[in-house]
Amino acid sequence: MNTSKKTLGLSQTAVALAMAAGFPFAYAQEGGGVAPAPENSVSVGIGVTSGDSYDRTRFGLYNGLRDHDANGLFGFNYSNRDAASGRWLTIQGHNIGLDSREFGLSYRRLGDMKVNVDYSELVRHDPRTINTSLQGAGSTTPVIPAGLITPGTGQNLNLELKRKGLGLLVEKQYGPYQVEVSFKNEDKEGARYFGKGFQCSNAWRFAYPALCGGSTSASAVLMLPEPVDSTIRQLEAKLNYSGEKLTLSGGYYGSFYSNSNGAITPTIGLTGFGNQNGGVLAANAAFAATMALPVALWPDNQSHQLSLAGNYALTPSTRINFKYSYTRATQDESFGGMGLGAGPGGRDNLGGRLDWTKAQIGFSSHPLAKLHVHGDLAYDSKRNKTPLDNYNQEPACPPPGVLAGRNCNPGNAAWKPSVFFTNNNQSPKKWDAKLEASYKLPQHFLLAGGLKYEHEDYDAVTPSDSLGGITGVRQKMEESSYRVELRKTMSEAFTGSVSFSSARRKGDSSWLKPGNIWLGELGVTEVSDAAIYSRTAIFPHMFMDRKRDKFRFMGNWTPSEKLSLQFFFDDGKDTYRAPTEHGLRNTKSQNFSVDAAYAVSDAWRLSAYASHGRQSVDAGHSTGYDAILKDTATSFGLGIRGTPTARLRIGGDLVWVDDKLQYQQAADDSASAGNVALLAASGGLPDVVYRLTRLNLYGEYDLQKNAYVRVDFIHHRTSFNEWTYSLNGIPFLYSDNTTISAQEKQSVSFIGASYIYKFK
Amino acid sequence: MVSRASVAGARILALAASALLLFIGNAAIAPQSALAQAPGPEVCAGCHEGQVNYYKNSVHGQKGNLRGPSNAGECSTCHGDGTEHVKAGGGKGVGGMKNPGGKSASMSNEDKSAICLTCHAGGSKRTHWVGSTHETRGNACTSCHTMHTNDKVLVKLTQPEVCFACHKQQRVEVQRMSRHPILEGKVVCSDCHNPHGSIGKALMKRDSVVETCYQCHAEKRGPFVHAHDPVTEDCSICHNPHGTVADTMLKLRPPFLCHQCHTPHGGQIAQARGQPGQAANITGKSGVNYTQGRGCVNCHTQIHGGNNPGLLPTPQFMFR
Repeated sequence: MNTSKKTLGLSQTAVALAMAAGFPFAYAQEGGGVAPAPENSVSVGIGVTSGDSYDRTRFGLYNGLRDHDANGLFGFNYSNRDAASGRWLTIQGHNIGLDSREFGLSYRRLGDMKVNVDYSELVRHDPRTINTSLQGAGSTTPVIPAGLITPGTGQNLNLELKRKGLGLLVEKQYGPYQVEVSFKNEDKEGARYFGKGFQCSNAWRFAYPALCGGSTSASAVLMLPEPVDSTIRQLEAKLNYSGEKLTLSGGYYGSFYSNSNGAITPTIGLTGFGNQNGGVLAANAAFAATMALPVALWPDNQSHQLSLAGNYALTPSTRINFKYSYTRATQDESFGGMGLGAGPGGRDNLGGRLDWTKAQIGFSSHPLAKLHVHGDLAYDSKRNKTPLDNYNQEPACPPPGVLAGRNCNPGNAAWKPSVFFTNNNQSPKKWDAKLEASYKLPQHFLLAGGLKYEHEDYDAVTPSDSLGGITGVRQKMEESSYRVELRKTMSEAFTGSVSFSSARRKGDSSWLKPGNIWLGELGVTEVSDAAIYSRTAIFPHMFMDRKRDKFRFMGNWTPSEKLSLQFFFDDGKDTYRAPTEHGLRNTKSQNFSVDAAYAVSDAWRLSAYASHGRQSVDAGHSTGYDAILKDTATSFGLGIRGTPTARLRIGGDLVWVDDKLQYQQAADDSASAGNVALLAASGGLPDVVYRLTRLNLYGEYDLQKNAYVRVDFIHHRTSFNEWTYSLNGIPFLYSDNTTISAQEKQSVSFIGASYIYKFK
Repeated sequence: MVSRASVAGARILALAASALLLFIGNAAIAPQSALAQAPGPEVCAGCHEGQVNYYKNSVHGQKGNLRGPSNAGECSTCHGDGTEHVKAGGGKGVGGMKNPGGKSASMSNEDKSAICLTCHAGGSKRTHWVGSTHETRGNACTSCHTMHTNDKVLVKLTQPEVCFACHKQQRVEVQRMSRHPILEGKVVCSDCHNPHGSIGKALMKRDSVVETCYQCHAEKRGPFVHAHDPVTEDCSICHNPHGTVADTMLKLRPPFLCHQCHTPHGGQIAQARGQPGQAANITGKSGVNYTQGRGCVNCHTQIHGGNNPGLLPTPQFMFR
């Protein structure tokens, strides 16, 4: 919960900092620097942004500066402190003129009690623009009118999601006991991307003609924004005890989600949907009615947790820690109340219930002055007590001869009646154990090593369920890992560490093959690797054997009092194995960065960083192609801070990021002629490149002892050539010819000026 | 130069504070009558004016904070008795002075943290500090927190900067297209992670990834009629909450993400509308429809789970 003692911000122009904050400079704690005594202040200013709201979609994603060319910059800080009594009162407001405004009140009697109240707003302005004929977008009853529009001729729509949060925190000390109570209420309102899609097939055509109107090819993909009108409430109450040997913290945490909307029920005026080829599909009123069936939204749910955590000093050199928690999460919202039909047998709600227990115990000990040993044992158990019922139906397939061209399941000549199957209520459990030790060597070196073991039991697959779209699963997995590290400490000139870790994960049970629903088989069957082997099958990666190795180096070097350098390098690889040649094969990651901070003088500081990272995912897709997705990200930053005169303070930061994602598709031996031709002609999916350049400059000038002006200049430039919704000007078409777009290149400049007045 | 009157006053104050602290049974601050006779801030300010001024304005330096260092031994509470240090005319480490600062090499990290934990061991956030990932990887309290300058960790806008001192990859990720509002100071590292120790993966604040995400995304908690098991297992199977270039912070776009677990239907290759060499029919279950737009989620829209009990058509494939 956000009701912590974190303050909202010390700068009066938090807006500028918020936009400027690229955090390019990870210089660790710069020494010196005197914080002024707490001040009361008011900040008034104005900021002007170039371009229009379409130029500012990425710049203005969260900072409230997207919609308007000019914005008021207002903030205040009131602080009343009495050192003798230890009473502190702080009231702050930031970004008051923007939709990311925050207010906070904190009253403390230091060392005794604290009350914090905070209010915060945040609007996420989606960076894309929807062009559509859809009416009532963002409501539970949107309307797709009759008459297919020409793509691009609808109205423009921009989705946004607004959050308003109110938090309260109270802490009171009673000797060694402390009571903490916090409450947070967050309302969310707006709309976000959602939709609906379906394609008819032989099975649906024959089994349920009413749904597909006899068509095997009727299909539609619709963009229907999800209407958001919900509240999350969190209540936490803890009693903490801190004694000489024992520390305890126990309490309750409740989380409550409520949604004012139950379902989207669109009205669809179209009977002939547009298709991705740019034409119109045959009119199919039955299918249109199918597409108008309600789409469920999020049901209300609740969670209650009791927990107890603590640590105890067994001896002066050995401490144990522990935690136990029990959570009950439930979801029993009425289907009818959500605007949906009843459940099987007239069931009114799911009756969902999950009981979650976590238990952990660990120790940390210094049996010798130079030796530190610590270990941990943890248990995690989810008991899914949701009742089972036949929520699912796989349609019947009529016998051969009844309907010509029947092809419900290639190779299956038998008649297949409808098959009903249930939801699942698997209850996974996990154990993990860890033991690590470190030993101090001469010359301030430290050698550390550790072992870890994890075992996960996903529970038996519910026998009355059917796993769709899955080649195989495993019930149990185990992973063993070790880690070695050499660290150089306690040196002002150089500290650093080099570490290597390796883990091996494998199944602790056989593969389980899902039953063939077309033959009426439910559940799973235990099979050997050979029996489930298929060259082009894809197995879920969490059940695959995995070999993981990772190397890391970090170093901090201070060659002189004025200069500090930091180096970082890591390299990791995961290799996967399952009874297939396809699916996820391996992932790799390599990152390198160097940071530098230089104190030119007492008045001037420079800093810089450069980083380069590469990540790749090598996977074979069972549709006959391979893809090695490779992401390369390069970033650098420069910064300067200075005080040229006693009255003037200036600073600047430059951040540059270049992120390229390559798809590197290649045809597999089993690739179809069509796929081979497509790859040969197109080269596969184009690379996606995201580039960001951001320059922040600021200056503060003291007009008098209790007033100063601040000027900020920001130049923010992005380029993002993704093909998600359009490639080379050819848009992806929804079935009502809705299209979505965003400006690939965006360039924004902002200039703001604020007057800050301080008073006692 | 410390006057006799101020020494006597300090002694009386220290004795009174010690008695009070003994009465309330808080062993966190033991009677420090010896330290109370140590040189106080007025003496230390002779050479360390900046640090002393900050201290006086901070929580630690308020006399009204009966549990704080100002009512124990002032500077000496953390830095040790400075009597010999002052006599010798100062100097780094002279007179046995302790410097628990982050960059100081004169103390081990355990000893540095022990000073802070004398008072700050309690509460709900630090029960698992000893033996935690940060502690065992050679960090002390002052690796992140500063006592004599503005503590960047306690300010939402500057907290990530402290974390990025070691977590370089995340420094780049938060700049990507699809991200949390970390740069704007609306979401900070400690909203999701407890750097002081947690029993969960990656120091998750609520002991598991899913419960931490549910703080703001409780709609995904369910349970649902139609469940998508990786959703309830771990959100980070599909999402990278620090930032990605795919929508909704997905690690990869569909279909590539989904094809790491699911056998795709149809023989279509992932493609965008209008690519050269494309087949004539790209509608329905085509490579275009499960690559562009929301990809697989164009149809399998209830990807986090759905509560629709209706049978027709097939909500169990997350259609509606």
